[in-house]
Amino acid sequence: MNDAQADVRLAAVTKSFGPVVAVDNVDLEIRRGTIFSLLGPSGCGKTTTLRLIAGFERPDAGEVYIRGERVTSIPPYRRNFSMVFQSYALFPHLNVSENVAFGLRMRGMARADRARAVNDALELVKLDALADRYPRQLSGGQQQRVALARAIVIRPAVLLLDEPLGALDKMLREEMQIELRSLQQRLGITAVFVTHDQEEALTLSDQVAVMRNGVIEQTGPPREIYDRPRTEFVAGFLGASNFLAGTVVALEGGTAIVETPAGRASLLADSRIGDRVRIAIRPERLRMMRDDGLGLPARIRDIVYRGPVTHFYMDSAGGPLLSYQQNAGAQDWSVGDAVRCTWDPESAVVLDSGCA
Amino acid sequence: MRESQVAARTLRGSATAIAFFLIVVPILIVVVVAFSPNEYFEFPPAGFSWRWFVEFFRLANMRGAFALSVELALLAATLATVFGTLGALYLARRRGTVAALLQSLFLAPLVFPTIILGVALLLMYKTIGMPVFPGLLLAHCIVGLPYAFRTALASAQTLDPALEEAGQSLGAGPLRTLFLLTLPLIWQGVLSGWLFAFIVSFGELNTALFLTGPGLTTLPIEIFSYLQFQGSQLVIAAASTLQIALIVILVATIERVVGLGRIIRAR
Amino acid sequence: MRTPWASVLLVPPLAMILLFFVAPVLYLFWVSLHEASSSELYGAALTVQNYVGVLGDSFYLAIIRRTLGVAAVILGLCVLIGYPVAYFVALQPPRRRMLVLLLLLFPLMVSNVVRAYGWVAILGRRGVLNTSLGSLGLIDGPLDLLYTIPAVVVGLMTILLPYMVISIANTLATLDRSYEEAAQALGASPFRTFLHVTLPLSTPGVASGTLLVLLLTLSAYVTITLLGGPRSKLLVSMIYDGVTAFQWPHAAALAFILLALALALTALILSVLRPGRVQGTGR
Repeated sequence: MNDAQADVRLAAVTKSFGPVVAVDNVDLEIRRGTIFSLLGPSGCGKTTTLRLIAGFERPDAGEVYIRGERVTSIPPYRRNFSMVFQSYALFPHLNVSENVAFGLRMRGMARADRARAVNDALELVKLDALADRYPRQLSGGQQQRVALARAIVIRPAVLLLDEPLGALDKMLREEMQIELRSLQQRLGITAVFVTHDQEEALTLSDQVAVMRNGVIEQTGPPREIYDRPRTEFVAGFLGASNFLAGTVVALEGGTAIVETPAGRASLLADSRIGDRVRIAIRPERLRMMRDDGLGLPARIRDIVYRGPVTHFYMDSAGGPLLSYQQNAGAQDWSVGDAVRCTWDPESAVVLDSGCA
Repeated sequence: MRESQVAARTLRGSATAIAFFLIVVPILIVVVVAFSPNEYFEFPPAGFSWRWFVEFFRLANMRGAFALSVELALLAATLATVFGTLGALYLARRRGTVAALLQSLFLAPLVFPTIILGVALLLMYKTIGMPVFPGLLLAHCIVGLPYAFRTALASAQTLDPALEEAGQSLGAGPLRTLFLLTLPLIWQGVLSGWLFAFIVSFGELNTALFLTGPGLTTLPIEIFSYLQFQGSQLVIAAASTLQIALIVILVATIERVVGLGRIIRAR
Repeated sequence: MRTPWASVLLVPPLAMILLFFVAPVLYLFWVSLHEASSSELYGAALTVQNYVGVLGDSFYLAIIRRTLGVAAVILGLCVLIGYPVAYFVALQPPRRRMLVLLLLLFPLMVSNVVRAYGWVAILGRRGVLNTSLGSLGLIDGPLDLLYTIPAVVVGLMTILLPYMVISIANTLATLDRSYEEAAQALGASPFRTFLHVTLPLSTPGVASGTLLVLLLTLSAYVTITLLGGPRSKLLVSMIYDGVTAFQWPHAAALAFILLALALALTALILSVLRPGRVQGTGR
C-alpha cells in the first residue's frame, strides 16, 4: 500500500511509560475509507496507539504518518484528525450546535457556512431538533451522537474513536454499531477505533488488529482473524476455542495428519513431518458423531442449553473439548455419552508456536 | 449507655453554644456600639444614630484609609488571582516530587508567619528603594496568592482532561484551549479565589504594619493606631462595621454567583 | 499542558514567590548574621552575636518562656473547646453543616484588629463586662482585665477557635461511618468507640488545626499588643520593637528564633499526634 492509499501509517513506533513498554515497535497501515479497529484486553496498548495517531502521546521511536505527511512531531491541534472520546468530552458550557461548530470555528469557517454544516451534521445523526440543548440535558446515547457529529463535521482525514460505545446499554450499543457503520460508509471517512469487545470489533470493522502487551499479534479482516487465528491468544480472545497439541506424522497434498494424544486429526497446513504443533478449532466447527466411526473419542461431561445453541463440554485424551450444536432439531445426547469429534480439515488452524 | 450518649450530646451542645457566643459576641458588640448616639462608650447604647458613620466619612484620614484598603484589595486580589490561576493551570495535571514542591511553595505564605514576611519585605524594600504603594501591593499579592491558587487548582483538577484534548482534536491550540475551554469551565473556582484574596488583603495587618507609610495607611492599620493611642473609640466601631458590611455584601454577591458549597469547600 | 508553552504558566507565579517571598526571607537571614550599625541598615562584619545575645539573655528567655506558655494554653483551650464543637458540626446534616461552617468562616474574614477591638470593648475599664458586673452590684470598682496575659489568651483563643473547629470538623465529616459501626459491632461502647476509633482517626484534622493555631498565635502581633499592652509582650512584640528601633540584625535574629521555635513545636506536635499513620504515610 503506498501512501496515496494509506490514510494512517505507523512505522516502528515505540512508546514507554517509565519501565512499562505500552507500544512495542508497532507497524500499522490503514487504508483510506476503511474502518480499522484495535482490539485487545486492557493494558495491551491499543489506547496508547490511538493517542499516538492523535498526537496526545509522542513516540519514543518510530514515525507517524497521516495521509502521507509525517506528523510525528506535529502537535494534535495541527493534525488532520478528529476524535470521539470515551466520555464524549462535550463542552459543558456550550450547547449542542456550539459544540458541533467548535472545530469549524477553529478552522475559520464563516458563520453562515458553519450554521449550514452544523445543521447537516446534526441531521445525519438525527439530532437536529436538539440543537439548543446543553450536554447535561441529553441522554448518553444523544451525547454520543453529538460527539460524533462534532467529529465528522470537520471532514477529517481520519476519525479516531476511543471505546465510543462502552457507556451505552446493549440494545443502544447494537443500534449505534449499525448507525456508525452506515455513517462511515456514507461519508467514506477512514475510522480507527479502540475496543475490548470482540463482538463489536467483528461487527464494525473492515480490518482488525489484535493487540497484546504492546504488540500487534495479528491484523486482518474479521473473518480471517476469527477463522484463522495465528496465535493461541488471538484464538482465545475472539471467542471460545478448542486447543490440541500434537506432532505432524504425515502429509497428503495440502493436508497434514497430526497425531494428538486423543487420536489422529487432519487439517490444512503447510507444516513438515515431525513438527510439533498446536491446533485450534472453533466449537461451532466441531462436529459430534456416534461413537462408532472416525474422529477423536471423547466423553460428554456437561450439557448447557443456550437458546439457539447448546454447549457440549467434553473430555478427551487430548484435553477438554467444547462443541456448539445448533438446536435445529432433536438432540439426544446425554451426559456421560461417548462421542467422536470431527471437523473439516479447513476448519482447524495451526497456531504460531512463537507467540503463544 | 443512654446516659453517656446524653452526656456527650450535652457536652457538644454546650461547647458549641459557648464557642459561638465567645466568637460572635465581640463582633456583635462592635457593630451595635457603632450606632451609638453618644460620645462615650456604653453598651447597650442609649439610642440609634448614624453620627459615627458620618464622622467616619468626615475624617480625611479615615476616608483615605478606607479608599486605600479597597483599592489595594482590588488590585492585590486581581494580581493574586492571575498568578495563582497560572500556577494552578500549570500544576493541575502534574505529579511527582517537583510538582509537589512547587505546590508547597505556592501555599507557603499561608503558614509562614506574615509578620516576619513584613519585616523581611521592609528590609528588602529599604535596600532597593521600593516605593510604598507597589511594595504594599506586592506584599498583599503574596499573602493572597495561596488562596487564589488553592481554589483555582481544585477547579482545574476536577476538569475532565478529555475536554482539553477534545478541543485540541478539533484544532484549538494552547491559547484558544485556555481561553475558550479551560477558563470558562473553571471561572467559579477562580472567582472564589479572588474573593478570598480580596478579603484577606482588606483585613491584612501584619505586613501592612511595616509597609505602610506617611499618608498611606490601610483601614486596619488606622483602626489599630486609634486603638493604641486611645483615639475616639466610636469612630473605630463605625469603621469596623463598614469593613464587616463590605465583606458581607461581597460574600453574599459571590455566593449568588458561585454557590455556597464552593465557598465553604474552598476553605 | 505538557507543551513548552507550559513554562509561560509557571514562570510568573514562580518568579513572584521567589522574588517577594523566598528572597526577602533569605535576605533577612543574611542580615541576622551581621553586626548592628547606626548609620546603615546593618554593619559589615559577620557574627552570630545576635542569636547568642538573645538566647543567653534571661530577659529574652523569659519572653520566650512566656510566649511558649501562652501558645500552649491557647492550643489546649482551642482543642478542648474546639473538638466537641467540631463533632457537633460534623454530625449535622449536610445543608445545615454548610450554614454552620459559613457562620464560623465569617468571623475569620473580619480583620483581627476589629475582633481584638471587640474584646477591648468587653474587657476595658468601661467595657461591657465591668459595667454589667458593676450594675449588678457584684464588684465595687472596675476590674483591670485588659492589658494582661489572660486577656491575650482569651482574645486570641476566640479569634483562632474557628480555624480549629473547621479543621477538625472537615476530618470528622469525611470519616467513614463504617469504622465506628465496625467497632460497635465488635462490642465497643460509644465512649470506647470514640476513644479508640474516632479520636485516633481524627488526628490529621487535629494536627492541621493545631499547627495553624500555633503559627497564628506566634505571629499575632496586633491582638497581643491591643489586649496585652506594654507589660505583656511576647516574642513577636520584640521583633516589632527591634524594627521600629532600626536594629535590623537584632530584629532579624529574633524573627528566625521565632521561626525556629515554630518549626520545633511543629515537629513536636507531629511526633505526638502522628497524623501520618492515618493518612497512609505510615510514620
